[in-house]
Amino acid sequence: MFRKKKSLWLFLLPGLLGLMVFYVIPFLGGIYFSLTDGSIQNRFVGFANYARIWRNEAFLLGLKNSLELSLISAPIIFVSSFILAVMLRSLKERSILFRNILLMPYLVPSAALLTVWLLLFDYGGPVNRLLDLMGLGRVLWLESSALRAPIVLLYIWKNIGFSIVIFSAALQAVPDAYYEYARLEGAGPIRQETRITLPLIMPTAFLVFVLAWINAFKIFKEVYFIAGAYPWDSIYTLQHFMNNKFANLDYQDVTTAAYSFAVIVFALFGLLYLAKGVRGDER
Amino acid sequence: MSVRQIRPRRRRLTAGAALSYVLLAVVCALVLLPIVLTLLYSFFPVSEMNTYLKTRGNYDQGRWMDLLLSPSVVSLRQYYDLLVDKPVYLQLFFNSAFYTAAILLGQALVIPMFAFALSKFRFKGREALFFLILMLMLMPFQVTMAPSVLTMRFLGLMNTVWAVILPMLFSPFYVFLLRQFMVGIPGELLEAGMMDGAGTWRAFVHLVLPVSRPVLGAAVALSFADNWNMVEQPLIYLSNYSSRMPLSVMFNQLTTQEAGVAFASAALYIAPALLIYLYFQEDILLGIQLSDMK
Repeated sequence: MFRKKKSLWLFLLPGLLGLMVFYVIPFLGGIYFSLTDGSIQNRFVGFANYARIWRNEAFLLGLKNSLELSLISAPIIFVSSFILAVMLRSLKERSILFRNILLMPYLVPSAALLTVWLLLFDYGGPVNRLLDLMGLGRVLWLESSALRAPIVLLYIWKNIGFSIVIFSAALQAVPDAYYEYARLEGAGPIRQETRITLPLIMPTAFLVFVLAWINAFKIFKEVYFIAGAYPWDSIYTLQHFMNNKFANLDYQDVTTAAYSFAVIVFALFGLLYLAKGVRGDER
Repeated sequence: MSVRQIRPRRRRLTAGAALSYVLLAVVCALVLLPIVLTLLYSFFPVSEMNTYLKTRGNYDQGRWMDLLLSPSVVSLRQYYDLLVDKPVYLQLFFNSAFYTAAILLGQALVIPMFAFALSKFRFKGREALFFLILMLMLMPFQVTMAPSVLTMRFLGLMNTVWAVILPMLFSPFYVFLLRQFMVGIPGELLEAGMMDGAGTWRAFVHLVLPVSRPVLGAAVALSFADNWNMVEQPLIYLSNYSSRMPLSVMFNQLTTQEAGVAFASAALYIAPALLIYLYFQEDILLGIQLSDMK
């Protein structure tokens, strides 16, 4: 540990300055914006903007869709990346190629996947062919609410590898001896994972879930690639609403929407944290 | 004498592991499929691809799209068209490369030093600052973006490349990632360095940075992925400056207009990302493994 003041400032200052200028100060300044009316006098209007935005249908639709899409994607990523990480661990050194393949899409720009995705999910395309072979009906994947499926899948395709890597790292830290003991005691594989692995890696699992969830709000990207700036109602996200308000230079609405969203997200975080705390105490 | 005798025998798979093996093979095949198809289709002649893509969007119950698996002739025409006849693609590609390079360079100057200060210096308010970074990291992009537009306007940076680049240089996630790694660097290592008379700067450059190689590699690769695929920031910050948009934002417009070369566009776009991935893949895994992710 170093204490020298002079060199501390050398290391700290650039980052601190940038953080303040581009994140902290605007965040605080934005609160002021959300409480004024944006006229030339810029009158203080209290929570009038909030009251208005909470009656705005486009905002509510975007908010609902953003929350829904993220709460669909994040749990799927969370559960399947945990299962895949457990499977990778069971293969030991044979897993390296698989692990590398699973992480690869994280680096690949999902924009580039657009054309092939539209092809795969076309009405006459391979996905529907597969469904047909299995005796299920075709689906109009590229319209209205069904469009959520290809978008969520593209998002998962790209992002699951990152969660797998974090899980794999945490799994490596669990000593093998625990499992041997559990086997001797007669615990099956599923019991071993839920009773030994999951409690031991709980802090990491919490991080994986939170990151997966927060990042899932960026699913706007995938929506934008596939459906553009003016999509169907079923996939109109909060970001679409905000982009629209930006285009009209309506900063009051933008900041108000942002902070309303922040309050909701952090309230959900709080619940999640409490839930984790409760479960953590059990063992 | 075969090599096999020298190597230790691999343990045979248990039933559970064999099942994992099969399932993982299937999942990996599915994961690879879109990339492989994109690469494969990029070598189809432009006309063949155009005709094929026109069979999309047919809602006739009795009709299917063909499953194209091999081209009539292997052709580099898509690439030729793209690189020689369509300057707009290259322009956008270079825009993307410019943003990515500028952001990576800036991050390299700011973030390792910041993380070093946060992990290896003792000062008042350190925990509070780290907590702040954590909170910023967990804030959805939509929440931080709105106010930062106000700053950009105030600084007169809207519709300049700086608006896209500058906020990214202080990205809280990478500060967090590097800090979590550097916290784990043993104090003895630094103390030994100090006894040799190295100052904090030399300790940083000659001890901390080399030891942090895996996490630095991981950060470069992850940040590359972010920047190479960025959409939200340019859409807002560059709304009146479309000639400086990155490829990621324009890709869907471009490929709907030019369906015949769409796959070569995609393949060229993927290629640098794959190279970065192949170069840094061990670092990503090791860097995240050695960082305290909780």
